[in-house]
Amino acid sequence: MMLRRDKKDEEEGASSNPFQGLEKSTVIQEARSFNETPIKPRKCCHTLTKIMYVLNQGEQFGRTEATGTFFAMTKLFQSSDVTLRRMVYLLIKEMADIADDVIIVTSSLTRDMTGKEDLYRAAAIRALCKITDSTMLQAIERFMKQAIVDKVPSVSSAALASSLHIMKQNPEVVRRWVNEVQEAASSDNIMVQYHALGLLHYVRKNDPMAVSKMVSKYTKGGLKSPYATCLLIRISAKLLEKEEYRDASPLVDFIESCLRHKSEMVIYEAAHAIVNMKDTSARELAPAVSVLQLFLSSPKPTLRFAATKTLNKVAMTHPAAVTACNLDLENLITDVNRSIATLAITTLLKTGSESSIDRLMKQIGTFMSDISDEFKVVVVDAVSSLCSKFPRKYTVMMNFLASMLRDDGGYEYKKAIVNSLVGIIEENPEAKEAGLSHLCEFIEDCEHTSLATRILHLLGQEGPRTLNPAKYIRFIYNRVILENAAIRAAAVSSLAKFGAHCEALLPSILVLLERSLLDSDDEVRDRATFYLSVLAENQKALNSAYILNGLSVSVVGLERALHHYTLEPSEQPFDMKTVPLDTQPFGEKKVKSDLGPTSRPAEKASAPTQEIYAEQLAAIPEFAHIGPLFKSSKPAELTESETEYIVRCIKHTFSKHVVFQFDCTNTLNDQQLEEVYVQMDSAEGFEVESVVTAPVLKYNQPGITYTLVQLPEDNTEVSSIFSNTLKYSVKDCDPNTGEADEDGYEDEYVLEDAELTFSDHVQRVMKPNFMASWEEIGDEHELEETFALSAKTLEEAINNIVSFLGMQPCERSDKVPEGKSSHSLYLAGVFRGGVDVLVKSRLALQDTVTMQITVRSTDPEISELITSAVG
Amino acid sequence: MGSILGVSKKQAQILCVGLDNSGKTTIINKLKPKETQTEDIVPTIGFTVEKFKSTAVNFTVFDMSGQGKYRNLWEHYYKDAEGIIFVLDSSDKLRMVVAKEELDLLLQHSEIKGRRIPVLFFANKMDMKDSLTSVKCSQMLELEKVKDKPWHICSSNALTQEGLHEGVQWLTGMCSHWAAAPSSSECRPAQYFKHFRPALF
Repeated sequence: MMLRRDKKDEEEGASSNPFQGLEKSTVIQEARSFNETPIKPRKCCHTLTKIMYVLNQGEQFGRTEATGTFFAMTKLFQSSDVTLRRMVYLLIKEMADIADDVIIVTSSLTRDMTGKEDLYRAAAIRALCKITDSTMLQAIERFMKQAIVDKVPSVSSAALASSLHIMKQNPEVVRRWVNEVQEAASSDNIMVQYHALGLLHYVRKNDPMAVSKMVSKYTKGGLKSPYATCLLIRISAKLLEKEEYRDASPLVDFIESCLRHKSEMVIYEAAHAIVNMKDTSARELAPAVSVLQLFLSSPKPTLRFAATKTLNKVAMTHPAAVTACNLDLENLITDVNRSIATLAITTLLKTGSESSIDRLMKQIGTFMSDISDEFKVVVVDAVSSLCSKFPRKYTVMMNFLASMLRDDGGYEYKKAIVNSLVGIIEENPEAKEAGLSHLCEFIEDCEHTSLATRILHLLGQEGPRTLNPAKYIRFIYNRVILENAAIRAAAVSSLAKFGAHCEALLPSILVLLERSLLDSDDEVRDRATFYLSVLAENQKALNSAYILNGLSVSVVGLERALHHYTLEPSEQPFDMKTVPLDTQPFGEKKVKSDLGPTSRPAEKASAPTQEIYAEQLAAIPEFAHIGPLFKSSKPAELTESETEYIVRCIKHTFSKHVVFQFDCTNTLNDQQLEEVYVQMDSAEGFEVESVVTAPVLKYNQPGITYTLVQLPEDNTEVSSIFSNTLKYSVKDCDPNTGEADEDGYEDEYVLEDAELTFSDHVQRVMKPNFMASWEEIGDEHELEETFALSAKTLEEAINNIVSFLGMQPCERSDKVPEGKSSHSLYLAGVFRGGVDVLVKSRLALQDTVTMQITVRSTDPEISELITSAVG
Repeated sequence: MGSILGVSKKQAQILCVGLDNSGKTTIINKLKPKETQTEDIVPTIGFTVEKFKSTAVNFTVFDMSGQGKYRNLWEHYYKDAEGIIFVLDSSDKLRMVVAKEELDLLLQHSEIKGRRIPVLFFANKMDMKDSLTSVKCSQMLELEKVKDKPWHICSSNALTQEGLHEGVQWLTGMCSHWAAAPSSSECRPAQYFKHFRPALF
């Protein structure tokens, strides 16, 4: 065995791993030597290392194996060899979760942690806390309290850090140690103080008042440790984010004073906190930026990196402040550390003036090939944000992006470039033609199917509306000849759109599509056949409905509805109107990358949640007769936070009914609620048809009750206010066991009102080609009205209208070009019951906004309803 | 000193068991050298390892926890035990049957049964007013039926160390004897009732 390993060592050189190829069974066998007397510390240490290695390689130990090995290991407590004992501690922690009866070592560990050997004590505490569960905590509490205030720093730190872990399972026990922790917080040792402060904050983290008290105590002085000071800065900055502490000047003063601290770490933390605060004034910002500027020329790469990264982040929010550092940033472009260089250059791009762009772009070009994809994406993001800032410079940027597109790079990188190009095309109509031709060029040699299909889709949408649509046909048709099935199918769809939109091109398109009739792929053939027959009809309405504006139903919903239909065959044809619509995520606007990390990603599409609701509701027999779910609203809170009961309301709209879903949570641990329901009172016409109660509401276990309301026959009444009362019978219960008393009594709790508005009846629908749909519906039921709005700007007016009507803005018409005083907004939606509604509204700004609204719909009542609802 | 002469002392691993609150940890604590003794004794959870010396033998003792829920863990340490100390609370008549039950389980255990290892009983807390004599204890435990192992019982008071020395002496004798002639055929249970309680009755 030894021989063989030696030989291997020679072959593989010094880097070979002595533990390579260890087998679990051999190691377990070897662990039996722990039972021998006398103990051989060196040999046992080696075996322990092997067990550790095998465990960390992901080898699974069976319960009995692990327990056997663990108990064998406990015998090593006989030996007083320091190295061996410390190794034993490590393995105890490692095996705490996989072996049974690990509490067997409790007394041995408590003895070590209170013993004289300082080398043992800290490690023993860590191991002890790992093996102790909540039932055993009582037994070690006394030792922990002593250890926290121990005069040996490592012991105290270990106890504090372990308490933090215990806190996660048993917060109430650790709360009893606060006095000791407070004592530790005034320790002279930097680590102990840091850990103590961390624990104190963790204990109070749910109580803002207590946190603010703690912060104000320590900001007055008493912290020696730079780590603790950094932590305090972070806690203060968090507090400042909350409304009620916004004007807490002592906190701001404290952070500012930390800019003059002697530790670089603290200075950076303070500067970082200040620049990331919301609504910081230029005066507050200046000192922070100037310390960051000092760091930029520091000889330490970490400081340079930290400062550049921070400046990069704030460059968009406070460009003026960062401009002051431009000279230093320019020097960093040639930094040997490429990460620093990239951050510096992108910061400059964000802050730079229009004139410096050309020069910077050239400079980036020189080292683009040296940096990793990850940083290339950073550069791409910076360039695209620059485009929205200086739209006139689009040619430089676009050429830059296009040349990057030609270089090698991974999928993420290419995707970022394509996203930027698409973004530019959407925002800047002038750039459209140039951008489209760059993209055309890219798909000629693109290995990523998903990008190619996306670009083909975009071409189909935008291409027909350009001055010279014919020039794109060649690029698209090349795809049909050369590419794989998925891309061919996308290309066919794209061609059809040209055919539908441009009459001049129609004959040629028909010829091209005919060639795909014999394609080897089913999907491509199907699409070609379908489009050919639609185009052959040559009717505007058909083109709009089937080619230019696709289905707007939810795919999952369609699948389910069809499945349902096949299960219960009926004479009637399948009705598309019963299929739930695809919900457009609210505020669909692309999250701009340049807003920095402070901006949260847009809320996830609500479609999946609606699917869940639909399933939950379908399972309730009381709601069997009301048809498929049309729309679910976002949850609204009907109670203040931190009250006895928390109730949220979600409105589910059906074709003739509304179901109010109340998610209730009982936050009192000494009460159990039963037969919980919400009594709703409202104006005439809205009648409560039935109620589904929540049978039991235990402490902290959410329950749901529903109220079914029938909508008035007359469609002109759609909005109403409901006053709500939570009714239930209360039973007192034991907070510890949760067992409830026999007898209960009736009680009620007044909730806030729930409002049913117009937008609850309308689902947003995206019409990619609004004008085609407008023509499709026709002017049979057109209504027109003019209103004066109270809004002061066009944006405000548009936001109000969109949120009031709950319809989807199409053709990016919710964005107002700068400096315009009039604007047209196109909205599309579907009223419950499946009636299409389109709204065109012309807005003009003088002192206030005047709006002329034109409504088209397939149902005259609905048109009237909208105009009256707005008024 | 032994190492200079080239003969090291005999090592022996001992298991100390018994019901909770019978005084195991207190006894072991008193047997240790003065400077390593601890002031406060708390209920043991799991076990602790202690070492002490007698005239001829170095003992390593596994002091087990006596609480009901941990007694099933004793068996993990049976295999290597070269001697057993079983501590009884002689003032706890009520639980003497429990002690007997635990003793029987111990003696019947597969890793103990066939081995001739010495068992030392301490009838502890002899100073208590209504404590049982060691004779009475051995009757209640039916020790006379234990034929295949050398055993010895002595009354003790761990607080004053009374009786501890005698017990350890016996164990030392057994261990060194045992080491010299491990396969000796017959070991008479030694000196039965040498220690009668001072006449309180």
